[in-house]
Amino acid sequence: MKRLAAVVALLGLATVTACSGGTEDKPAAGGSGGGGGLYTTIDANKPSLDVNGPINPWSPKGNAFWGYNAMRIAWSKNHLTDPNQFYPGIAASWEIAPDNSSITLHLQPDNKWSDGKPVTAEDVKFSIALAYTQGSTAFAIDPGAAGAASEVEVVDDKTVKISQDMKNPSVTFVRGVMDSFIVPQHVWSSVLPADFWDKLKAARGDGADAESARAEITALSEKVLAFAPPKDVSAGPFALERMNPGEALLVKNKNFYNAANVGPDQVKMLNSTGNEQIWNYLIAGKLDSAPFTAVPADVMKRIGATPGNAVVKGFSPVSLGLAFNQAKKPYDNVHVRRGLAYLINRDEVTTIASPEGGTPAVTTTGIHQKPAAEWLGAELGELEPYKLDPAKAEEEFKKAGLKKEGGKWTLPDGTPWKFTINVPTPFSDWVSGAKAVTSQLTAAGVDAEVLTVADYPLYLKEIAEGKYDVGFWLIALGPAPYNIYQRLYGASNGWAILGGKVKHAEAGKGGNWMGGPETIEVDGTKVNPGELTAKLNSAAEDEQKTIVGQLAKAANQDLPVIQLWDYVNTQFVNTNHFTGFPENDSDLLRQPAGVWIQLGMVKKK
Amino acid sequence: MTAFARRLAGHLARGLVMILIVTTVSFFVIRSVPGDPMAAKYEKMVEQGMSPEAAQRAVEVLFGFAPTGSLWQQYVDYMSGLVRLDLGQSLTVPGVGVSTVLFSAAKWTILPVLAGTLLSFLIGVIMGVYAAIRRSGKLGDILAISGSLLHGVPQYVLALLLGAVFTTLWPILPQGGTADIMFEPGFNAGYIGSLVEHAMLPVLTYALAGYGGWILAMKSSVVTVLGDDFILAAELRGLKRGFIFRYVARNAILPLFTILALSLGMLFGGAIFIERIFNYPGLGLMLIDSITNRDYALMGGAFLLITAAIIIANIAADLFYTVIDPRVRSGEGTT
Repeated sequence: MKRLAAVVALLGLATVTACSGGTEDKPAAGGSGGGGGLYTTIDANKPSLDVNGPINPWSPKGNAFWGYNAMRIAWSKNHLTDPNQFYPGIAASWEIAPDNSSITLHLQPDNKWSDGKPVTAEDVKFSIALAYTQGSTAFAIDPGAAGAASEVEVVDDKTVKISQDMKNPSVTFVRGVMDSFIVPQHVWSSVLPADFWDKLKAARGDGADAESARAEITALSEKVLAFAPPKDVSAGPFALERMNPGEALLVKNKNFYNAANVGPDQVKMLNSTGNEQIWNYLIAGKLDSAPFTAVPADVMKRIGATPGNAVVKGFSPVSLGLAFNQAKKPYDNVHVRRGLAYLINRDEVTTIASPEGGTPAVTTTGIHQKPAAEWLGAELGELEPYKLDPAKAEEEFKKAGLKKEGGKWTLPDGTPWKFTINVPTPFSDWVSGAKAVTSQLTAAGVDAEVLTVADYPLYLKEIAEGKYDVGFWLIALGPAPYNIYQRLYGASNGWAILGGKVKHAEAGKGGNWMGGPETIEVDGTKVNPGELTAKLNSAAEDEQKTIVGQLAKAANQDLPVIQLWDYVNTQFVNTNHFTGFPENDSDLLRQPAGVWIQLGMVKKK
Repeated sequence: MTAFARRLAGHLARGLVMILIVTTVSFFVIRSVPGDPMAAKYEKMVEQGMSPEAAQRAVEVLFGFAPTGSLWQQYVDYMSGLVRLDLGQSLTVPGVGVSTVLFSAAKWTILPVLAGTLLSFLIGVIMGVYAAIRRSGKLGDILAISGSLLHGVPQYVLALLLGAVFTTLWPILPQGGTADIMFEPGFNAGYIGSLVEHAMLPVLTYALAGYGGWILAMKSSVVTVLGDDFILAAELRGLKRGFIFRYVARNAILPLFTILALSLGMLFGGAIFIERIFNYPGLGLMLIDSITNRDYALMGGAFLLITAAIIIANIAADLFYTVIDPRVRSGEGTT
């Protein structure tokens, strides 16, 4: 037995040694653990940490955490109607040409990388070159891409001017520029060939040479995505010190331009694979801030009972819609969709499914109610609210030719009507919401059921293949109105931009699973919602307002979806160690805590 | 070639064939898993505020890493890579080899699985002997009932219970991770203590889940041996009870060693649930992540590793039994 015990002890020792010997656990030079002012959080953009991920902002599982050790040119305010409002990042200030044709960036004068070298305009230009390989919004190389940059000019050491290709301009050009990540040229220089800008120039032309240049640039994308700097050189408020599979430690970058106002000395990032873990951390009081999380009411009470915990709520540019496959009967009939809308009590559905993270949609516009009020003004009140009204539902169903037999609605030919909602199992709020909807419909004589699907990738595949009659679909993904209406009148409803022109595919073809008609009559005029949506990408603000009004009316009367609830950005903070968190409705809630910290808001207690 | 070497060679050949079959089957099964990872990634990017076109371009760049060509061609490429011990590239961590991801995660599964299984084996075997000897007394009953109860409770239920007790009701243990990042990794008391603290709940789950099986198996084995003639002969010869106990335990434990080796292999599969519950980032958690992301290369690699563990455990069990049981050894001489 003694020998066995010795063997067990040795095995244990060997395993511990093996676990401590991994490359991911070796501390980076120059930093230290311990110390005060530790801020603990979870990164909503990278909740699942991966020790093998490179310190590379373009890598989907990279260990470059936005706002902490990964810096953008600026941080979007996600303003309800103006996409060109930002908080400073790498750029301290900027000038936007009145026609959106260019933006001139003035970099933070005293900003340095964590290794002490200054952040220069050349770093910005080099990072833009890297962005071209990834096909970012403003730096797309495909011919005819809207809102692409045509020139990047280094004016001086701290000034860069970026011009838009005005052949196909976009109102989101500036946002596309500002969203760019900036990395140090002296670390990344080996990734790009010296003649990159010549290649880019060639790629902008026509013919075989241009095509070959585009292929060469695209081929570089792999190299960029896979690049792994040996250590973190950051221009952000923190630099990555070390990681293990469950946690990451970032320490303050003393060279950061606003380092004096950065409250925490260190940030501990926790790994998370699901909402339950975040709830448990919150209940235990272990998080200084936590990202948007769907929370049931009873869990919310327990979180609230933990000393220091507080809830902060703000706008979240997302709504949930009950979407129809109009290629299937009876959902091709607008009266059926309207009848269903009158039978669904959205207040009750929201209370059951998302009491803390949603508010019942006031009506269907395709937009979240907050920006809807800004875009539509008084017009919002004139739209049909589809309040619970069984009498109106009956009227609509009768118009559609449905029959009521023995208290149950049947199809016009008398065959049974089975209303089936498909939802992905892991989305607990969707499952609860779907169940609430089916109970209401069943009570009103519509034979309804919920079918769950194993996971989201499968759900997306099957809904796109037109396998479902009815499913849940995220809409209103703004704040840009073009992005918002792409969810209703974009590829999933048959509209695609081919060679700069909007084309519509028939129901069931070319990814058109929603199967809506190409034109809709609004106020006695036939409109093409896909074309109107495409126009939003380049229209001036006044014109955008008119288009948004038309599209909201189209969505309201045609109901490609029934808007159920508008999400609320429900976040958590704990004030035991830090103060100065964003308050309710702050636009900063739509940026990670790293941005709050780098702006100097969060202070040690 | 000695009989042992022949036996080993036979096992290895069979093991390789099994690995080949499992790899082939899992390759095609994995690629037939329905679901569109590109669409899921696109949705995620759009939800984060990216324009639909930009998200489409980003997804195309990202999935440029995905293998192309016919399924058959992909299979040939995969198998030829396997011969060179190249499992391909992870789709979710572009540029990082599957083997790097696998081995980085595997060590966090091996540690608790090994510790938990050995702990349950040791305690279960010792308690099993007592349960057999005191089978007519209260202690024997209590031990047998504890074994039956714990043997009947599924691993994940135990994990949920332990998690609820030690991280929520009485929060004295960490809720996830492998070690507190504030400790410098290395051979120092703080870091090792943190490693142990974080591994405690998974280890305890494996130990408790295995304990019931061991105690019941050992009790049954000891009871059988107690009825053997050589025990009666020993008692008649007046051997002390302590000596008889050693004879009994040594003979009764033999079949359990085989089960021990097998269970070590099988536990890698069970780790999936435990790691998910405790947010312990080993192979199981990595496998769940790879399935959610439809990272085919990573899924294939994980299945291959789990299969190889089970096959190696089988071979080890057989060879181990040859070494420890003289009857099997003597049987070899005749073949």
